[in-house]
Amino acid sequence: MGTLETMKDIFNNPNKIIEEWKKDGKKVVGHRCMYVPEEIIHAAGMLPYPTFGTPEPIKKADSYFQPCACEFVRNLFDLALDKKFGFLDSMVLCNTCDAVRHLYNMWDTYVDSVPCYMVNNPQKMYDESGFKFYRMELEKFKKLMEDLSGNKITDESLKKSIELYDETRRLLKELNDLRKRDIPAISGSEFLRTSMASMLMPKENANPLLRKLIDEVKNREIKNADGPRILLTGSIIDNPTLIELVEDMGGVVVVDDLCTSAKYFWYTTKPNNDPMDAIVRFNLERTLCACAHPSEDRYDYLQGLIREFNIDGIIYFNIKYCHPFVYESAIFRKKLEEEVPTLTLEVDHSLSGLGQLKTRVQAFIEML
Amino acid sequence: MATKVTAPGKKSLQTTLEIGKAIRAYYGGIKEAQKAGKPVIWSYGLVPREIFHAADAPVIYLEHLPLMIGAKQLSGHYIQIAEEEGFSRDVCAFHRCFLGCAVAKERDPYLEKFFAPPNLIIASNLPCMSESKSFLYAADHHDCPYYFLDAPINTWGKDIPEYAIEYFAGQLKGAIDSMEEHGFKVDMDKLKESINLTKKMMGLWNEIDNCRKTVPTPMSTVDGITAAYPLIQLPGTELGVTLFERLLEELKERVEKKQGVIEDEKLRLMWFGVPPFYNMGLFNYVEKYGAVVVKSMVEYIAGGAFDPSVMDPEKPLESLAYKALVDIVNPTYTNMVDFIVKAVEDFKIDGLIGVVKRSCGLLPGYMRLAKDAVYNGSGVPMTIFDLDGLDIREYDDVTSKANLDSFVESLLANKRRQ
Ligand code: SF4
Ligand code: SF4
Repeated sequence: MGTLETMKDIFNNPNKIIEEWKKDGKKVVGHRCMYVPEEIIHAAGMLPYPTFGTPEPIKKADSYFQPCACEFVRNLFDLALDKKFGFLDSMVLCNTCDAVRHLYNMWDTYVDSVPCYMVNNPQKMYDESGFKFYRMELEKFKKLMEDLSGNKITDESLKKSIELYDETRRLLKELNDLRKRDIPAISGSEFLRTSMASMLMPKENANPLLRKLIDEVKNREIKNADGPRILLTGSIIDNPTLIELVEDMGGVVVVDDLCTSAKYFWYTTKPNNDPMDAIVRFNLERTLCACAHPSEDRYDYLQGLIREFNIDGIIYFNIKYCHPFVYESAIFRKKLEEEVPTLTLEVDHSLSGLGQLKTRVQAFIEML
Repeated sequence: MATKVTAPGKKSLQTTLEIGKAIRAYYGGIKEAQKAGKPVIWSYGLVPREIFHAADAPVIYLEHLPLMIGAKQLSGHYIQIAEEEGFSRDVCAFHRCFLGCAVAKERDPYLEKFFAPPNLIIASNLPCMSESKSFLYAADHHDCPYYFLDAPINTWGKDIPEYAIEYFAGQLKGAIDSMEEHGFKVDMDKLKESINLTKKMMGLWNEIDNCRKTVPTPMSTVDGITAAYPLIQLPGTELGVTLFERLLEELKERVEKKQGVIEDEKLRLMWFGVPPFYNMGLFNYVEKYGAVVVKSMVEYIAGGAFDPSVMDPEKPLESLAYKALVDIVNPTYTNMVDFIVKAVEDFKIDGLIGVVKRSCGLLPGYMRLAKDAVYNGSGVPMTIFDLDGLDIREYDDVTSKANLDSFVESLLANKRRQ
């Protein structure tokens, strides 16, 4: 099996990763969103596990959340109520959007089997007083992870974890760079599966696989690469259906500014003797999340992607009621459109209404 | 011709009429102030307005314009304008409405009386995502400086740690610096004085609340929502204190005379969620059953649920930080749920009405939590139905009234059985 297939297999069966990890009695800590530092969990000898949704219809969560909360969050909560996250030893959320804040409220109240913790991160970047506040919060979080694992986190272990996670980010970025070419080496949907599989796996396993994959695909050219080059941005996308749809319509997704893709690996940690400070700055010296400020930073970053990846069109895939991205797309749209045509789609996480979506994507791609 | 189904709420107190006048006078004065060369700030309810009073700054609050034009049933038009600018119907109707007002090429004469473009915008993420993002568009449109006040969410309940107070107090200092950079002079002595006045106001509000706990209640939420205006706009001012002193006097008199809002008070209700600002008469609708909506949770936003002793004039920014961080709408659930459970007990509530404003990222998320906590605590039931308090286009009068009818009837039936 080629490494792309291996990655696809891991993406399709993440349970295998958990079984393997838990064999030696080691713990797994679920999390959602980027302000939960995986390195701290890892340095305590546990597996940080990014929780994703499923395309399944929601069964129980809708009697807790009103349907006007983002469906991704309702989906996660549904899985939690259904004990699908029963393998987690703890769940950790952070301060991003209204929906995630409510996920914490609900989880903490109604899910007894997996305790839930909230990391309180500032939403203002580049602010020294915010660094101080976040540092205090992370010290508490570090202590919690030490207590949960029974392992002390030393500066040395934390530095090693940072290096390991940075290596994953560097490798994913190197792979992503192969999409800059006129004919990309890897398609959008292949990349998303790979990126998500790498996020789910222990990085000790992900990194050698990524190296191998880069070697295997570096001289490859994808088929059907003569369509318009698309930058995909917006709310979380945790399965490749939407990207495949764009690809089926003739678009070539060459970069995706998503929590499951570029946002995860775009930056690496700056050298710093104090590893906690390194983590603080890593998270608060970049505005990758639409919840954060200043938002001009995100605008400049999108501009950079447009140039670097030679973009013909932008698609904002916004999950319905995802306020951060619904606001952002409305705020950026006019300015972005001066550069490249932009299509904004509001979709359910479960992709109900796919037919209408297809028509709009097709019309957009034809227009490009 | 379609029959008009909405109606203004019937107020029963003299002081709330005066408060209504004070609101209009305040907003009427903003335009004049700008004409006279004073810069104008745009901000909203949960940014501590004591810092604005300390600079004698004219401020337009995001909530107020939509409320005022909502009461005149003009909000739909401006919401429409924002939607044409690309703002989805799924984001907060208040913000869409305000943005529509902000970017409209022409404004109704009624709005025009109050509207003044911003010279500085001070925004925050407390309590919700909309607060933190929508003003960016207005700032861009009016080419105006924008200061973002970052508030930590409250994961601590009542015991806010020093480092969180320090962080938010620092953010407030940043807002003050930004004001000074843009033509305002913030008088720190006046700020201290403001803290004293706020402390006094909060004490008075608690006394007002105590009066409202009596049976029959001397004041319903129709008056209460107007009465909460000084809490939102006038903390830290003499006017706010005076208005509350008068209100308290009026209520005490009523309590003494055992004068209720309605003659034979059979049921006491509480409203949870955004009130129907374009149809405040809906609160009076239940009176035909002998029911009174005694209280509304939004009356507490920005000031109601505090112990005044938290305010220390010698530490003005820290006091304001504490007040903001423990606010019941600071979006984790402990303080909100504790508050609602206690309010239901204190006000002797028989039933809780929860309304879901579809476009709100914050309040709908509390419905189930409030329902369970209140029911488990005191056995008081809660009904939950859809009602957007601002976007009249989403309002369904027949369904809303049917929901109220069946809830109130079931409460009355329960009472009869007891
Ligand atoms: S999709 Fe949007 S609303 Fe949902 S969790 Fe992510 S950022 Fe929050
Ligand atoms: S709390 Fe709800 S109603 Fe209030 S501004 Fe935020 S989204 Fe709008």
